[in-house]
Amino acid sequence: MPLPNKTPLAWKNLTHDWRRLAVAVAGIGFAVLLMFTQVGFQNALFDSQVKVIDDLAGDIFLVSRAKYTLAAEKRFPRELINQANSARGVIGAYPLYTELTLSRLKNLSAGASGKAYPIRSIGFHLSDPVFRSPEVNRQLSKLYAPGAALIDLRSKRDNFDFPMEDEAALAAAPAELANRRVTLVGTFKLGTDFAHDGNLAMSAESFARFFPQRVRYGDPLSVVDIGIVHVENGADVLEVRDAVDALLDDRVFVYTREQFRNEEIRFWDESTPIGIIFTAGKIIGFVVGMVICYQVIYSDIADHMPEFATLKAMGYSTGYFLRLIVVEAVLLSLIGFVPGLVVSAGLYSMLAEATGLQLQMTVDSVLLVLVLTAAMCIASGMLAVRKLLAADPANLF
Amino acid sequence: MVSSFSVYEDTMHATQSLPATSGMYAGGMQIPKTVKVSQLNHYFGEGELRKQALHQNNLEVRRGEIVIMTGPSGSGKTTLLTLVGTLRTVQEGSLKVLGHELNGATRDAIVMLRRELGFIFQAHNLFESLTAFQNVNMAAELNGLDHGAAKERIDYLLNRLGLGQRIHYKPKSLSGGQKQRVAIARGLVHQPKLVLADEPTAALDEQSGREVVTLFQELARDEGCTIIMVTHDNRILDVADRIVNMVDGHIRSDVAVHETSVICEFLRQFPLFADLQTSTLTEVADKMMVAEAGAGDVVIRQGDPGELFYLIRSGGVDVIVEHDGEASKVAELGEGQYFGEAALLRDEPRNATIVATAPSVFYTLGKADFKAVLARSKSFVDELRNVLASRT
Repeated sequence: MPLPNKTPLAWKNLTHDWRRLAVAVAGIGFAVLLMFTQVGFQNALFDSQVKVIDDLAGDIFLVSRAKYTLAAEKRFPRELINQANSARGVIGAYPLYTELTLSRLKNLSAGASGKAYPIRSIGFHLSDPVFRSPEVNRQLSKLYAPGAALIDLRSKRDNFDFPMEDEAALAAAPAELANRRVTLVGTFKLGTDFAHDGNLAMSAESFARFFPQRVRYGDPLSVVDIGIVHVENGADVLEVRDAVDALLDDRVFVYTREQFRNEEIRFWDESTPIGIIFTAGKIIGFVVGMVICYQVIYSDIADHMPEFATLKAMGYSTGYFLRLIVVEAVLLSLIGFVPGLVVSAGLYSMLAEATGLQLQMTVDSVLLVLVLTAAMCIASGMLAVRKLLAADPANLF
Repeated sequence: MVSSFSVYEDTMHATQSLPATSGMYAGGMQIPKTVKVSQLNHYFGEGELRKQALHQNNLEVRRGEIVIMTGPSGSGKTTLLTLVGTLRTVQEGSLKVLGHELNGATRDAIVMLRRELGFIFQAHNLFESLTAFQNVNMAAELNGLDHGAAKERIDYLLNRLGLGQRIHYKPKSLSGGQKQRVAIARGLVHQPKLVLADEPTAALDEQSGREVVTLFQELARDEGCTIIMVTHDNRILDVADRIVNMVDGHIRSDVAVHETSVICEFLRQFPLFADLQTSTLTEVADKMMVAEAGAGDVVIRQGDPGELFYLIRSGGVDVIVEHDGEASKVAELGEGQYFGEAALLRDEPRNATIVATAPSVFYTLGKADFKAVLARSKSFVDELRNVLASRT
């Protein structure tokens, strides 16, 4: 029974041979790094999928029931926005228009390819508080000019090679959006994701001018991609959501910000291979760690068989040995986790700088990897402990 | 006297099969025994490869005894030791250790019993990661010894074993003998009631080997600790209270050393045996059996054929000669004295009647064995004459 004042055999055995410990720590640290890489990339990619949601203002969001992901161009009639506006607790409901299929941006500068590349266009009424980003809100006045748009600074440079750092040069750059002249009056930051290589933000009026075909007969602004609803200060968002939901028919989903975000991540995680790929990556990291950890614990046991058999002869019970190995496994996972975490944090910041991906060491991912590491070590310990339980003190004489 | 005759017959039969050197009667019966092995068989292997390692082993070890087991390798002594130590499962027969029957004992009962045992293996089996003190403490803390008391006892034992300067050294910094002594301390620290040791002194020089067995003797005397050890180290045979010799899975002899020396001393007083080597006397002692008689029992009756030679271990007898229908007491014999030799030497009927005057224990030697011994005595014929001449 390893009580506080008992001989800490697990710790002593683990730290006795520093070379072996160093190898073990390196191995487990590597497994931790592998898992952090997978978790980090997955989070980064999922975060970039929902970055647009994070950048939108509002508490409740309306999307068409048919819209299974942000990139699916399923829309709902604008009347629903007005209906939502009348729900209790709502202080404002605003439409957001997005277009990808028709939205192709061509760089006509000398030396540019002159090819048109798809880019997401986001249209909104300039008086509506739909963006959180102060960059966009600061430049609203520039967007009143017909055909004016802000371009996402993080757009894919290969496709959209505009002089984004220089506002005057950018505004002068000749470009066409859906075969109409567009003036890039400034930049904002949003970021790319799996479906979108870049973004443009513009007034609803410009948007309607660029994409008249959006609705075959009628007003291109009569259908909305995302409805943004602001809730009164102090109102319970969930209650308001229910009220809006009750008010609207079932052509739309009514989401809180968190639900909206989760639904979008769930789509990428569960309905695309991305989730599987990263899960496989995590499993590989887990298995690599398990193999390394098993080796460490197994060889520790194998090297001390006569000693453990002697403990058995003394009257140490099976329970003691199980606890001993669990303690050893947990210690091992903690010792291996710390350097793995440090190296991963370094790698995250390096990669974030190099790729622009949202690689962040969040508390959730640290806890996740820590739990995985501990589980990995305990599982391999339980595999290795069979060897220990087979130790036969009768062979000692 | 006639009425008690049948009683005497019964008593004789009851104890006839006990060897004199077993020491069973030296200090009276002691119950329960620390170890009681009865009709123990053990087999290794399965099916056609099944091989019997122990045959009908019987052994009793008393509290505080130091037992040395000898015998060639493969004789089964280690198997018996591991069985007694609960390290193997009893297959056939009965094995009681500290009052617990091991045949069919539960796992938990065995784990608890092990905590009352002390093991000293040939290899030291110390954890390299722990200091001498911590290694010994592994045994102490398992038995819930109070921290302070444990420290005191560990310090005492390690000091006693000459490791006082190296209590906090790790095994890497200790010599082979020092490591072995740490392992011995580990086997003794929790005041085990029974210590099982396998060649405990093999790795030790003469002086530290002596220190170890002296410690064993102290523990046996002061704590009533029973010690069973397998050893080939002749230097320490002198500490044995009992020597068990095994050959091919049989216990060939089980001898209480002190009792045997007592018998040898007694035998040496018999002039015919006086010039025999100690080894021959020991063999004679080995062949003697125990017989008991109550006060007033007739042990030998004049005129009966003579079959046994008697040595009085305890008690006393009267020698009564019947002559012309008149009985007269000619002598009184006591502890260490003998009778019954004349009829064996001359192949004559008993020339006197022997009656126990008190509850008595005799060690007896059969006629054939008696004569075989005499034949080995070179001066037998001369001696015989002297003996016969000096007798009335």
